[in-house]
Amino acid sequence: MFVVVLVHLIVAGLLVVARRQLERWAFLVGALGPVATLIYLAANWQKGLDGNAVVETFEWVAAQDLDITFRADGYAMVFLLVVAGAGLAIFLYAHRYFKPGNGPTMFAATMTLFAGGMVGVVASDHVLSLFVFWELTTITSYLLIGYDDRQAQARSAALHAAIVTGAGGLAMLGGLVLLAERSGSYLISEIVANPVGSSIAIEVAWVLVLLGAITKSAQFPFHAWLPGAMAAPTPASAFLHSATMVKAGIFLVGRLGMAAVATVDWWQPAVVAIGLVTMVVGGWRALRQYDIKLVLAYGTVSQLGFMFLLIGSGVPELIYGGLAALLAHALFKATLFMVVGAIDHEAGTRDLRRLSGLYKTMPVLFAVALAMSISMAAIPLTFGFVAKEAAYHGLIYEGVLWIAAVAAASTLTVAYTARFLFGAFGPHEEGQEPAEGHRLSLSNLLLAAPAALAVVSIVVGLVPSLISPLVDAGTYAVTGHHHAGHLVVWPGIGEGLAWSAATLSLGALMAWRKELMARIGDAVGVVADRLPSGEGAWRKFVPGLIGFADRSSSLIQNGSLPTYVAVILLVAITAPTVAVLNSSSGVALVAPPSGTLFEWILGAIIVVFALSLAFVRRRFAVVILLGGVGYGIAGMYAVFGAPDLTLTQLLIETLGVALFALVLRHLPATFSGPATARVPRLIVAVLVGAFVFAGGLAVTAARTSSRVAESFLELSVPEAGGHNVVNVILVDFRGFDTLGEITVLVAATLGAAGLIRPMLKKRRSS
Amino acid sequence: MKRSSSSPILSAGVVVVSGPLLMFSAYLLFTGHNQPGGGFSGGLVAGITVLLVWAAGGLDSVRRVLPVKSNILMGAGLSLAALTGFAAFVPGLEFLESGYIKLHWPLVGEFKIVSALFFDIGVYLVVVGMAVGLIKALGHEGSAESPEESS
Repeated sequence: MFVVVLVHLIVAGLLVVARRQLERWAFLVGALGPVATLIYLAANWQKGLDGNAVVETFEWVAAQDLDITFRADGYAMVFLLVVAGAGLAIFLYAHRYFKPGNGPTMFAATMTLFAGGMVGVVASDHVLSLFVFWELTTITSYLLIGYDDRQAQARSAALHAAIVTGAGGLAMLGGLVLLAERSGSYLISEIVANPVGSSIAIEVAWVLVLLGAITKSAQFPFHAWLPGAMAAPTPASAFLHSATMVKAGIFLVGRLGMAAVATVDWWQPAVVAIGLVTMVVGGWRALRQYDIKLVLAYGTVSQLGFMFLLIGSGVPELIYGGLAALLAHALFKATLFMVVGAIDHEAGTRDLRRLSGLYKTMPVLFAVALAMSISMAAIPLTFGFVAKEAAYHGLIYEGVLWIAAVAAASTLTVAYTARFLFGAFGPHEEGQEPAEGHRLSLSNLLLAAPAALAVVSIVVGLVPSLISPLVDAGTYAVTGHHHAGHLVVWPGIGEGLAWSAATLSLGALMAWRKELMARIGDAVGVVADRLPSGEGAWRKFVPGLIGFADRSSSLIQNGSLPTYVAVILLVAITAPTVAVLNSSSGVALVAPPSGTLFEWILGAIIVVFALSLAFVRRRFAVVILLGGVGYGIAGMYAVFGAPDLTLTQLLIETLGVALFALVLRHLPATFSGPATARVPRLIVAVLVGAFVFAGGLAVTAARTSSRVAESFLELSVPEAGGHNVVNVILVDFRGFDTLGEITVLVAATLGAAGLIRPMLKKRRSS
Repeated sequence: MKRSSSSPILSAGVVVVSGPLLMFSAYLLFTGHNQPGGGFSGGLVAGITVLLVWAAGGLDSVRRVLPVKSNILMGAGLSLAALTGFAAFVPGLEFLESGYIKLHWPLVGEFKIVSALFFDIGVYLVVVGMAVGLIKALGHEGSAESPEESS
């Protein structure tokens, strides 16, 4: 699995490097990613079907328990098969989809990277690596939706998708970390195996996880980003926004659903309600679209709702049906999207009012679309029907309300399928300019790729035993139940068939009376437009968010150095003070030792220098006085027998004062501004002084463990071969710190020089 | 273009002291493991020397005596320090753990080379690079009050 992910990353990297040479051949190279996944699946197929998981662990940061753990069980294999199978077909399709010279290599690289991320999502067992891969899919999705970055609409759709799914991803991370902390393991397999009892934190955790899933899988009320994402070129729509990425949320609720149902009682009703509402909203909106791609997109929303409620329900029978539906959906929806892309490519429009007679001009494409449409509508002898029957079987078992609600929502699926099929391939509408396509040959990948997926779908629809062991293994992996359902071509006369028949006939009726439906739709629309909607909220949210960002950054980053310093100092003294005052052990102050006369004199010199700093207005004098304070402290070090510190302090003060003098050449000679402006600074200064004074005394009193210095003194010669323990600490015992410090020194110098040079150059030239 | 030194006495003085200062700087660097000193203080002394050269002869003199970019000094120092840390893996030690070898050379006598010395040389180079970088950024002759002298 590690190798598979690595192949994706390497191929994506190669594509970026060799983008000039490869052009659209890049997609054929990128197809290596899905091929690698398929090879992996073939090699581990039997293992997965037997109910075993292939676990790979790579120790990374052992001390932090940060391992990269991949765990491919039957459930992950269902999703891997979708990612690799649909991915392979779509990569081949994309090779033909893009016109030469369009420079789509970056698109191919991003798709490959996405495929790798998706493999990582479904195979990760560690919470944090799951999150990393999850966000990799968010970012690549953003890049793919916004691929045509000259279009404002594509950019804003990309941003919409990224913000919604990104925010959801963060929520999910929070939820998973809470779960992991409570259950004591960051491995999802262990979190699921030992669900912890309910508490407020756990309730919150499950809400957050659910948020992550519903945003990713475009569930109501966050579904609006998915139709917007159709701004992406069709290969991305087919791959990410129908077959794979949007199923990541469903993957998550399936993986965790059993544990969630066992812990919180609201999970199942919430998932079912969200799924049902999404089914209805998506199906309804699909009936109102004229762009065939948008018909499919809203259809996807609707279907995602269906799968969400099945797989997230935590009921083995429903999960079984849901996984079958997921495989069926990936096949027919990816194919139909590719069909739409081919139509767009050849006829130049996707408007179903203009498309005319394509069943004659593009007969093979029509055959493919027909086969997949009847699968989408779940008409008998299709994979869609087989899957839906399995799902209905489970729903009937749950109760009549469940099956009735889902069947009612499914009628919309039948109706929008008809709208898609007749709209795309039937005659054009009166008063619209007709658009006709050209015959595509089967050797054209634009047709061959969807046709190949369609053949797979048809074969599986007729011989479902090909796929039922995988569905069973997938269900077993998350539920521990074998034979939770079965996939059969013909269920026999019974309740399930009756519900299917009802769904189909009611849907057909809706498709037949489409003028009536349109009028009802208009009437509903009048009301619905007044209601708060996801899209409306989004349109208000973005300017609000940007305004908030503007205001907050102008408040926090106001460009004033004194303000920055004051904030840093106040935080630095407030945080420890609060912590100390809240601590149970309390604070004790040690009276300082009385000190010798010489120490008192040195101290007095430091204090006089420091105090006079506050009253001097000439910058040069300030620098000299600061240097005086530093020398005084160096003297203190000398008195207390720290020659190393004395030496370093003297040198750094000397160099510091001299460099300061260089800075002063470019600044006014005195500080400006009214005296009142100095009052807040005085307050900060007094507070910091008091804190350091009291802190010094308190810290000296608070020692509980033995002095680390003693062990350093003991170890210095035998361990590091040095007699100067200060130096040994710097280069050996605490060498890592020193390395960090010199890195900071380099960064700060580069930053300072980089800021100063252009500023002075500008001043000289003006 | 060549700016005359601000003060001949200063120039002469810098010529006289910079040699001993650099020797002191090197002494601090090499003795640091057993006596007060080390890469940091050694580097500071070298930095102060460069600053004196600047005071006497301006940036031209600094460039003449040290024809290396400050970024290269800092980069080399940081790399050396980090590599010293990784080098400890070769004999199977922890990152940055130091080892030493005792050598006996004719005439020189017995002495010890500690791996930490290379780390300290890295620190030294970074500190010198920092000082030179800031001097070069700030110490342009064409300062605010005499823009026509700019190069």
